Amino acid sequence: MKLINKKNFISIVCISFTLIVCGKLLIEKAAGFTDVHYTGNIFTCLGFSVIITAVLALHFYLQRFPLIPVLIGQYLLVAGATVAFVKAADVIAGTSTNAMWQMLLSVTIPFVVSAFVYYLVFFKQIKKANAILAEINRENTEV
Amino acid sequence: MRFIKTREEGLRENYLELHYHEVDEETKELIARLDTTLSNVEGSCDDRHVSVPVTEVLYFETVDRKTFAYTDSMCIEMRLALNNILDMYSDAGLIRISRSAVVNVYRIDHLQGDMNMRTIIFLKNGEKLIMNRGYKKEFLAELERIKERSRK
Repeated sequence: MKLINKKNFISIVCISFTLIVCGKLLIEKAAGFTDVHYTGNIFTCLGFSVIITAVLALHFYLQRFPLIPVLIGQYLLVAGATVAFVKAADVIAGTSTNAMWQMLLSVTIPFVVSAFVYYLVFFKQIKKANAILAEINRENTEV
Repeated sequence: MRFIKTREEGLRENYLELHYHEVDEETKELIARLDTTLSNVEGSCDDRHVSVPVTEVLYFETVDRKTFAYTDSMCIEMRLALNNILDMYSDAGLIRISRSAVVNVYRIDHLQGDMNMRTIIFLKNGEKLIMNRGYKKEFLAELERIKERSRK
């Protein structure tokens, strides 16, 4: 089943964008920080919502391939888009000296955490399925 | 409904006998399930026509547009497509694990995950099958359903 398709792509981007912006505003409010590049950062959030949703949408089509190359490919795609985005932003408006590193870190951390959670859930599901199979086999043997 | 098991020495073939006054919903459901479980799959093996109980089939697989049923000792070429097999024998515990394979859940020994998040299915005869990530959710849901059904 496709979780992200043409019909729900825009709505998923909108929801992700809203949540990211709300999170950004809450953190800024809590930290008492004023964002001087407010407009630019809002559009950055939108750009990344589109890129990450597009990369996740590819997941369905890549299910028959081994996961590790898929994850590496997806990460390289996102990292490449990030580098291109920061370079373009630097040409248009100028960015701080460590903008590239910060942006790559912002992409890498959620990616690694998501992959870890994905693995954890997968092996937990296998454990649960084995318990069910053992139960089914036991019941069959008893009869 | 009561279920009585009786051991009989020297019986050549096990049999089930249903005693009823009226066929109620519960009985009807049980008969339907037994019909599927006790039905046979038919096909050819070494140019001979063979018929084996669906419960003996380990898995079904499509290779070059031909469907095969694998038992412990035979590979039976069938005329049915995998979708038809699933429709006909779904109550016998068959679950799809890839585009080209359907496994009999009662013939699975255990599962194992690999680093690429594919699930390796170890059958009771020692054979291994690979389940694609795309079929995992459906497989787990079906497994839950079978567990609930066998508890009833």
